[in-house]
Amino acid sequence: MPIDYLPILIMLLVAIVMAVVSLAMPHMLGPKIFNKAKQETIESGKLNYGDARRRVPVQYYMVAMLFILFDVEVLFLYPYAVLFWDLKWFGLVQAGIFVLLLVESYVYVWKKGVLNWE
Amino acid sequence: MDALRLLTPEITITIFAFAIISLDIAWNDENKSRRILPWLAFAGGLATLLMIFYIWPHVDQYNYTAATDAGREVPMLAVDRMSLFFKMIAVLTVILVGLSAGEYVEKHTPFRGEFYGLMLLAGLSIMLLVSSTNLIMIYLALEFLSITSYILTGFLRRDARSIEAALKYFLYGALASGVMLYGFSLLYGATGSVDLATIAGSLETTQAGLVVAAVILMLAGFGFKIALVPFHQWSPDAYEGAPTPITAFLSVGPKAAGLAVLIRVMVVALPAFDVNWTPILSLVAIFTMSVGNLVALWQTNMKRMLAYSSIAQAGYMLVGLAAWSAAPPSAVAYLGGVDAIMLFLLAYMFTNLGVFAIAIILENQMGTSEIADYAGLIRRSPYLSVALLIFFLSLVGIPPTSGFIGKLFVFGAAVNQGLYVLALFGVFNSVISVAYYFGVLRNVFFEKGSDESPIRVGVAMNTVVTITVVMTLLIALYGQPFIQLAADSAQILAANF
Amino acid sequence: MLPIPLSWWLTVSAALFSIGVFGALSRRNAIGILMGIELVLNAVNVNLVAFWRYVIPANVEGQIFALIVISVAAAEAAVGLAIVIAVYRRRHSAAVEELDILKH
Repeated sequence: MPIDYLPILIMLLVAIVMAVVSLAMPHMLGPKIFNKAKQETIESGKLNYGDARRRVPVQYYMVAMLFILFDVEVLFLYPYAVLFWDLKWFGLVQAGIFVLLLVESYVYVWKKGVLNWE
Repeated sequence: MDALRLLTPEITITIFAFAIISLDIAWNDENKSRRILPWLAFAGGLATLLMIFYIWPHVDQYNYTAATDAGREVPMLAVDRMSLFFKMIAVLTVILVGLSAGEYVEKHTPFRGEFYGLMLLAGLSIMLLVSSTNLIMIYLALEFLSITSYILTGFLRRDARSIEAALKYFLYGALASGVMLYGFSLLYGATGSVDLATIAGSLETTQAGLVVAAVILMLAGFGFKIALVPFHQWSPDAYEGAPTPITAFLSVGPKAAGLAVLIRVMVVALPAFDVNWTPILSLVAIFTMSVGNLVALWQTNMKRMLAYSSIAQAGYMLVGLAAWSAAPPSAVAYLGGVDAIMLFLLAYMFTNLGVFAIAIILENQMGTSEIADYAGLIRRSPYLSVALLIFFLSLVGIPPTSGFIGKLFVFGAAVNQGLYVLALFGVFNSVISVAYYFGVLRNVFFEKGSDESPIRVGVAMNTVVTITVVMTLLIALYGQPFIQLAADSAQILAANF
Repeated sequence: MLPIPLSWWLTVSAALFSIGVFGALSRRNAIGILMGIELVLNAVNVNLVAFWRYVIPANVEGQIFALIVISVAAAEAAVGLAIVIAVYRRRHSAAVEELDILKH
């Protein structure tokens, strides 16, 4: 029934009114002072520098790729976690080998100095 | 013999691969003990080979039936005679390539541990691929093989040719595997299973259109790995730019693996599906042979010429599969034609790795692999020249060499099934191939080279050349055991575990 | 009953696949080609999960397959980007038509 959706419509209207009012009120009532600090892009309290379109050091991509790889490999632990009790010791050994291989690749990355920034 | 023991070859090679990589990071660059890493890889290969021989007599007692019910058990691998045969090919390739790579690797790259570790892992990926009976496992193993191949192709990362080859190989390969995977997903949707045997069971009741689309997309992926025309464009570039030992590996390993998985999918999953494969396979075989041979005529670089030559050789192997598909589907697993492919592959492996061993020796000494630089080789090294002659005779298929036996069986299988035109094309193509192989030999025997200094050959290299020469001749002169081996190996299981 | 018919999912996935293949074939930048390939893989994932939900919900093979595709795609992209970086360091460009050292 369309009537059942009435609360959602009311909710939507309230949300729109709230948004418009809270944006319009300070605009109309507040004092308008512009200065350089206010015009800057907000950067969580940090000072801005440079342009967004600049080269990022290649180290960044190395770390980003490694992060994605390890992040995605951990995905396989989810199905294992679901079946943890069913798989008993055999599953634990298998998961252990899996984690061991991940650790080995982490040690490899570490020893090869990929994680050093300089 | 329990399930885990059937996997001892894979487990062995994995342990060795990770041992090599671990020792490589544990020892720093100055450590003298790093010199044992190549020998550790060699030992790993031999141990794996021993494990394969150890399992060999036991496989037929363990013909588990496929777990076709929709329960939790999803069969992934089959350890049958066919997969063991292809595993043997993979491990022999890794051993021979590893032996012949020693000096080349020493000269060109500081990353030796990674090289040998990745070689073993590439061998592992082939071993997994040839026994996969499940779309998930096929995809996983195929990608494993692809990724290790990309890295090995671009291994000389300061060499512009090597990385260019790697990028081309990667871009073609990633797209091909994506397309193949789309085919997998359609097949999964059409049949409701990822297990090849279950797929075979439900194919009769599904919509043909979806399955045809799926199979064509899948063939693109397998064809890419085997470098069948029209999916071969990557191979000349990848072969020319890759480090030469890796070129040798690429010309045998992935081809054998792709062929094995193609055979398994055709034999296990698709026979129930009512499409006549013979014309399709025949056409692809004819194009692959002809394009490979005709383009090879114009090549001036040895590696590039061998790339086209190995495309043509893959075409000959496909003739065997076409012959299999032409046979009436009578028994559970009639595999005439498949044994011919295996015999051909065995001969091709020894011959091609031998040719590449010579190419590596000459590249180590001269720094190039242009055919023009092979001039006057007979004065510089009579042994290598004669070996090259034997290998080329075998690649053309002239007795008394193993290539002759291989071609005899493959074309014989085609004639047996009445595919006369296909066999005729094969013979005709062999005649064309004489031209370019003998172009090289003319340089070697009759031209005068500028440099007359003798070629020095290391112990490992000498071993490889000698082994390959002996095997190339032995398969022809004392062929019975090898023919028997191929016939025994043509035995496919739907699934083990 | 599931409100959206299976064919809608398959249409979305087919569109993704086509866009991906088109992108991979028409892009000149290696990174662009890689993005096209990623689209193809995502089309596969949509297919797999949709088929799993609609055709054989009892059997989680489709879900597992999708998980594996995601992780393999990440590994493949990592290797691909590493190769692109190596090429870029040599040639100062990731445009594929400039890769012409090896004869065509």
